[in-house]
Amino acid sequence: MGRPDKREPGQIRALHCALGQLNRADGSAQFSAGNTSALCGVYGPVDVKVYDEKLDRALVEVKFRPDIGVSATKDRWVESAVRSTFEREVLAHLHPRTLVQINIQLREGDGSVDATVINATTLALVDAGIPLKSMIAAASCVVLADDTTAVDPTQEEVDAARSTHTFAFSSSSSTRPQSGPVYVDSRGDFTMDEYNRCHDLCAMAAERVLAFMRTVVEGKVTKEALISTA
Amino acid sequence: MTGVKVVLPGDIIDTQQPDGDEQAVIRLGPGLVQASDEVTAVTAGILRSNSETSQWWVVGNKRRYVAAEGEPVVGVVAARHGEGYRVDIGSAHDALLPLLAFEGATKRNKPNLAVGTAVYARVVVANSVMDPEIECFNSHTGKSEGYGELAEGFMFKCSLGLARRLIDTKAPVLAALGKGLPFEVAVGVNGRVWVNAGTVQSTILVANAIRNSEYLDAKQCRQMVKELLEKQ
Repeated sequence: MGRPDKREPGQIRALHCALGQLNRADGSAQFSAGNTSALCGVYGPVDVKVYDEKLDRALVEVKFRPDIGVSATKDRWVESAVRSTFEREVLAHLHPRTLVQINIQLREGDGSVDATVINATTLALVDAGIPLKSMIAAASCVVLADDTTAVDPTQEEVDAARSTHTFAFSSSSSTRPQSGPVYVDSRGDFTMDEYNRCHDLCAMAAERVLAFMRTVVEGKVTKEALISTA
Repeated sequence: MTGVKVVLPGDIIDTQQPDGDEQAVIRLGPGLVQASDEVTAVTAGILRSNSETSQWWVVGNKRRYVAAEGEPVVGVVAARHGEGYRVDIGSAHDALLPLLAFEGATKRNKPNLAVGTAVYARVVVANSVMDPEIECFNSHTGKSEGYGELAEGFMFKCSLGLARRLIDTKAPVLAALGKGLPFEVAVGVNGRVWVNAGTVQSTILVANAIRNSEYLDAKQCRQMVKELLEKQ
């Protein structure tokens, strides 16, 4: 049984990204994988309410809005996933008593939403110049009823799946392979073997996403560098 | 300088000079941190180095200012306190501008700035744990050296990268504009530019020209300014 859009099991959808589209945010990125698309705006480091102030580091706040309707409990889950992933990645101690606000608007959700959101957030943080330990790239994978795995699933595949897995990897894990993923989310019934298969597929997909991110950021940086040296 | 090297957060930097000795002390500037034995980039940008001073740093563009000592900034007075003004300079925290940090200011003769006034000032205290402090004069000579209240004119925002390029005396857009019409300009590295060209029309022209120059090289800048001046 092939995939609905005739992709290979390990093939991700076409990626698209635009940096700095929001002109009032300090940094922004729109990241799309096929039809799934998220727009992320980052403000920071900015002033923080006294109540939320952390004396030794910046507060990382995440707001996520779904494509349709008001945000519900499952959207809180996405917020906490992004926050827990990036709290460790942002060098928050460099800007104590400040706030780094991450606002994410899902433009269209067609499967792999959490992975797309994490990828958009990484690029928006880089665009804003927030100090980061490394780049984070995420990918999703499903195990279908016939025990086959499919990476970067569409919503149709997610609905038909027995289990769904999302992994995020940091760019420094390619130089230190012993360090595992920085974020894992697994849902449904699965065996350890299936989990490992999904992990390996997602690691390969994340590697590609990371390479794509690198080209995007390099493009933006060289464009500015050519002007200043001209 | 050999080629342009783009670094991304997490990239490990090889600070070894081809003919340098291994124990040499290196200095890390913006965008680089030391983690255990390695130097890694934390922001995206172009890696630059000076082999004579063994300094390394990353040049990137941002939109949010983080105060650093000695830098000129354009601020807006947000409030007045007993001993000074609270000035918005675009960083996370408002800066403090003491009442006596002006040329010729004494306890009896203090400047009177209304809330909303633009000022050109220099950052004197900037670290992550304290609120920044700015002053409108050189505390060694007591002279204003161009700093102070920016009366009239028009202030707008731009990216921090563009602001730094404008500060450079060779900024092509300012040179081209200067040939066409007289104007005053104050550039803050916090991404705020104040201009005054006498008339509203010319001021808008200068502001538009500077804003347009973000992604233009020297030749395109001159062409763009020429077209704007012809339309006027």
